[in-house]
Amino acid sequence: MNNLNLTISSSPHIHAKHSTASIMQNVLIALLPALAVAGYVFGVWALALVAICIVSAVTTEAIIQKLSKKAVTINDWSAVVTGVLLGFNLPINAPWWLAVIGSVFAIAIVKQCFGGLGQNFMNPALAARAFLLASWPTRMTSTAYIPAYDTVTTATPLALLKSGDLTNMPSTLDLFTGLNGVYGCIGEISALALLVGGLYLIFKGIISWRIPTVYLLTVAAFAVLVGQDPLVHIVSGGVMLGAFFMATDYASSPVTPKGQIIFALGCGLITMIIRLYGGYPEGCSYSILLMNIATPLIDRFTKEKIYGVVKKKKEVQA
Amino acid sequence: MNFIKNLTRGIIKENPTFVLVLGMCPTLAVTTSAINGMGMGLATTAVLVGSNVAISALRKVIPNSIRIPAFVVIIASFVTIIGMLMKAYVPALDAALGLFIPLIVVNCVILGRAEAFAFSNGIADSFADGLGMGLGFTLSLTVLGSVREILGAGSIFGLSLFGASYEPVILMILPPGAFLTLGLLMGLINWKKKKA
Amino acid sequence: MENKVQIDWKNVFKLGFILFAISAVAACCLALTNYVTAGTIEKMNLATNQTARQEVLSEAVDFEEIPAEDLTKIGTEIGLDNPDELVEAYIGKNGNEVVGYTVKTAPQSGYSGEVQVLIGISTDGIVQGVTILEHSETPGLGAQATLPKFKDQYKGLTASEKITVVKSTPVSGSNSIQAITGATITSRAVTLGVNISNEVYQILSK
Repeated sequence: MNNLNLTISSSPHIHAKHSTASIMQNVLIALLPALAVAGYVFGVWALALVAICIVSAVTTEAIIQKLSKKAVTINDWSAVVTGVLLGFNLPINAPWWLAVIGSVFAIAIVKQCFGGLGQNFMNPALAARAFLLASWPTRMTSTAYIPAYDTVTTATPLALLKSGDLTNMPSTLDLFTGLNGVYGCIGEISALALLVGGLYLIFKGIISWRIPTVYLLTVAAFAVLVGQDPLVHIVSGGVMLGAFFMATDYASSPVTPKGQIIFALGCGLITMIIRLYGGYPEGCSYSILLMNIATPLIDRFTKEKIYGVVKKKKEVQA
Repeated sequence: MNFIKNLTRGIIKENPTFVLVLGMCPTLAVTTSAINGMGMGLATTAVLVGSNVAISALRKVIPNSIRIPAFVVIIASFVTIIGMLMKAYVPALDAALGLFIPLIVVNCVILGRAEAFAFSNGIADSFADGLGMGLGFTLSLTVLGSVREILGAGSIFGLSLFGASYEPVILMILPPGAFLTLGLLMGLINWKKKKA
Repeated sequence: MENKVQIDWKNVFKLGFILFAISAVAACCLALTNYVTAGTIEKMNLATNQTARQEVLSEAVDFEEIPAEDLTKIGTEIGLDNPDELVEAYIGKNGNEVVGYTVKTAPQSGYSGEVQVLIGISTDGIVQGVTILEHSETPGLGAQATLPKFKDQYKGLTASEKITVVKSTPVSGSNSIQAITGATITSRAVTLGVNISNEVYQILSK
């Protein structure tokens, strides 16, 4: 008897062009421009923090898989991607231990406790960010960035927007390129770099265009409705990073096209509600986490109809 | 012999929190520190022993069809009495546990033991069962509270452990910390059991 | 509708009587415990309140409560949005001499709802002390408001003008306090309580 390894999933079955490793490698390539900007603007420590995240994430994955006597799958690159994404979500003045604890939490608790790759019900990097934010709020919210030529810390653009004090607000172009001293987490400062990476992924067929497009359009539309600049809302904060790289996580976003649109719409709405009416200046990470939790439900209600089956009519009793 | 068995069963083998998974509301809500967990555990033990003995003593008098309302009345009375005594004589603990003392009434451990044990066993055995289950509950709540306090506040029973430079994991003393700790401890226990 | 249930009235009364008997015994036990503990609890509450008032207004020896209807009037006079935010007020006395006032407020705008703040103000209009009585703020963040490091900031501020919250170390003489890092909402709520009592003080001291 052949020992077949059958994978069972619902139809239609399409031959996949990509293996997990190649998908993850492409995601990493797409993240490179943002990493380069981070290195250019923040200096070596930004790259070091991302490196610490990668090493701890991969080590944790290997140790847990060894301990639980499972096959060690660190060469699928998924832990590296989680590490980079978590690193992107840290403020530049985060200490090394914050990066280590965050990575261990992302991999050990969020990913491996629920069964490893593809089984996690929420994005590991984002869940770790939420964990760090709740545990060390002062460390995590000091997102204020200290450029080489400036020693004064300032609030992030979204915090400025929230407080209504726009004197220090950077121009929309600066927010877009991120090269000129914008304030934010390591990986989120340059909307341009993230956009380039995101378009590369769509072009390569790694992610679908639906989630990022609908997400960004919802944010913009909401901003227009309340009379704020839609461009500023799209290019500041974590929305660009979230829309292209976090919300599109395979395991925790819906599989059906209709479901993806509902998912992205929800992300956009929650992001804007938190930004405008919530306690935090930025709601991108929480919005994606909340919609991650709703994903199984969305999938259930947007399942494709099975052709050839007619819904039975209830027999009318005489 | 039987008495000892009834007493020890609740502490480890049928631990109400980790094995029977009963009384999750107080388990998750009050274990923000070791002392709170222990206080809640002991208050529950007192109610459990009292209600078990009373229900066992009255088991011949209470008809089967109205046993649940009778249990509820007995348990609620014990909880109220314990609550008043705590307010009068240990106000500090009362301030910390406050809201959760009246909630002992709806703790499934107590109604569960009344139904599953005390209603069909003798007074001495029921006393042992109540005490054992109560101590098991106290033990698990204290462990949960200790883990959360050590990580979330850097102290145990209020004693500082790591000095001022330690930055506590605040999440551990927030509600998610309760779920994380409970889940991990339960996993650890099941893993140990599987190995043994 | 054919199977009409036959009610066994004898049994109903029997069950009812048993339940009644159990409840009656339980009620007796409760009454007894209440009789024993009520006095102690009452004394304890009075002592706690007295200690708390003395903590914020150390010069006073005894306290005279301002009647509830007067307090309501004061509340309307200072234009409180929510009358529940002003809980009680006392005149602190040392012998016959009035040495100050204590006001208990309950701002609803904490991060997790109500924060009870007790404030002591001396007759010359200086805040003598602030203490947080009941709150459900986040441990490690908003809960830091109960620590001396935060609440002692109010000591010595003047009650005749509004106290403000700033995020960095306040300029001396600016009548402001520094917010707890990461818990600005809690800091604002406590300060709101202090400002309400300041206004109450201004009316009382007239």
